[in-house]
Amino acid sequence: MSKYKLFLLRHGEGAWNKENRFCSWVDQKLSEDGVKEAQDCGRLLKEQGYKFDLVFTSILSRSIQTAWLVLEAMGQEWVPVVKSWRLNERHYGSLIGLNRAEMAQQHGEEKVKLWRRSYDITPPLIDESHPYFLEIYNDRRYTTCDVPIKDLPRAESLKEVLDRLLPYWNSTVVPEIRNGRTVLISAHGNSCRALLKYLEGISDEDIASVTLPTGIPVLLELDENLKPVKPRQLLGDQAKIQAAIKKVEDQGKAKPST
Amino acid sequence: MSKYKLFLLRHGEGAWNKENRFCSWVDQKLSEDGVKEAQDCGRLLKEQGYKFDLVFTSILSRSIQTAWLVLEAMGQEWVPVVKSWRLNERHYGSLIGLNRAEMAQQHGEEKVKLWRRSYDITPPLIDESHPYFLEIYNDRRYTTCDVPIKDLPRAESLKEVLDRLLPYWNSTVVPEIRNGRTVLISAHGNSCRALLKYLEGISDEDIASVTLPTGIPVLLELDENLKPVKPRQLLGDQAKIQAAIKK
Repeated sequence: MSKYKLFLLRHGEGAWNKENRFCSWVDQKLSEDGVKEAQDCGRLLKEQGYKFDLVFTSILSRSIQTAWLVLEAMGQEWVPVVKSWRLNERHYGSLIGLNRAEMAQQHGEEKVKLWRRSYDITPPLIDESHPYFLEIYNDRRYTTCDVPIKDLPRAESLKEVLDRLLPYWNSTVVPEIRNGRTVLISAHGNSCRALLKYLEGISDEDIASVTLPTGIPVLLELDENLKPVKPRQLLGDQAKIQAAIKKVEDQGKAKPST
Repeated sequence: MSKYKLFLLRHGEGAWNKENRFCSWVDQKLSEDGVKEAQDCGRLLKEQGYKFDLVFTSILSRSIQTAWLVLEAMGQEWVPVVKSWRLNERHYGSLIGLNRAEMAQQHGEEKVKLWRRSYDITPPLIDESHPYFLEIYNDRRYTTCDVPIKDLPRAESLKEVLDRLLPYWNSTVVPEIRNGRTVLISAHGNSCRALLKYLEGISDEDIASVTLPTGIPVLLELDENLKPVKPRQLLGDQAKIQAAIKK
């Protein structure tokens, strides 16, 4: 029997999404479309009468901006927003900044497919030679994390995302849910997928084929053990949801190399 | 000797400011100009290289929106933002929603001047007959405060603003400052004035003539006892500051 409601939201389009580049821990802003996706999401949630008590985001600005836009559209700007690196997007290591064509060129299609779809294979680590290394690790926000900068990831498999997310889920999010608070998690494609895998008990093989559309709120109804009592619900107009799913799937398809 | 830096910011224009209506606890949004004021403030703070560790706001959306716009302009969206009713604008009781002309009509110029400029005279309480009563007290945000709704103010003097603000300052803001964190308080005209009165030791008479311009960040440099070591600094272009004060 449904006791708790949990909402997950994958943020909308950033500038690099259009170029099909792995953004990951680079702090890209939402594009104009991404902003609109967040506002539409907020309007939908308002129309359907949802009321949040608490919002969790990563420390990447696109997930924070998304949360702010959703709260603004709902007239719930006063709701507390709590931010943690543990909800950050998956760290893609040295693949950060490459587009899918460049990745296939540098590493071969098979390797790339493996890194993207396997559960526990880690991409090559980012190092100081990488063009985005300093932009990430010199950023002041990473001095505020609950691990020292030197211990933050240099690359992650999806498994490693869950490994650093789960302690936060247990220590910080679960107690709030158990206190009856309606929580929104505004995060990223892979951090949302990792959490879904855990909550829904999706296998290591099956998780590869699970993708969340952007900007579409996902409602999970949980029992007193925080297990889903029914399949996840993507909220909103069904045609719009189908279009959003298709958009994400199309982005995933490798472009033919020239 | 300056040990800590504290920043205060009075949010910019809301729709009712233009009509000269007391907005108070009605949750008005920033106007387009108010949004721009916040963005300009953020850009200035960024240019001057300031880095916040923590932001406090009221639970009225115009102060939160201001904080968000400032953080966005500075690329510091990740900085924690903590919200409390204790930083809300002064509660103007039954005068809420009236413009200055209507107020003078209903109560007389002298009374209005007294309520606005005295330190400890409370305006008439708001009650259920007031057009904005339900909009305020039925709002879910007031179920999340650290006092029950029935104990929230129904009107406040400036003194009463400080009375409910000071415990929060002491319990929640001061420890952060003492931990070396650079704090921004994004709030309202009267909540900022009340805090300034306390920090700077301004008398009950003198506080009447202190007003903060909107959208201009105020820097207070404090010693280890959290006493200011120099006069407050309004940051930014002096011509712009003069124009804001005049406005």
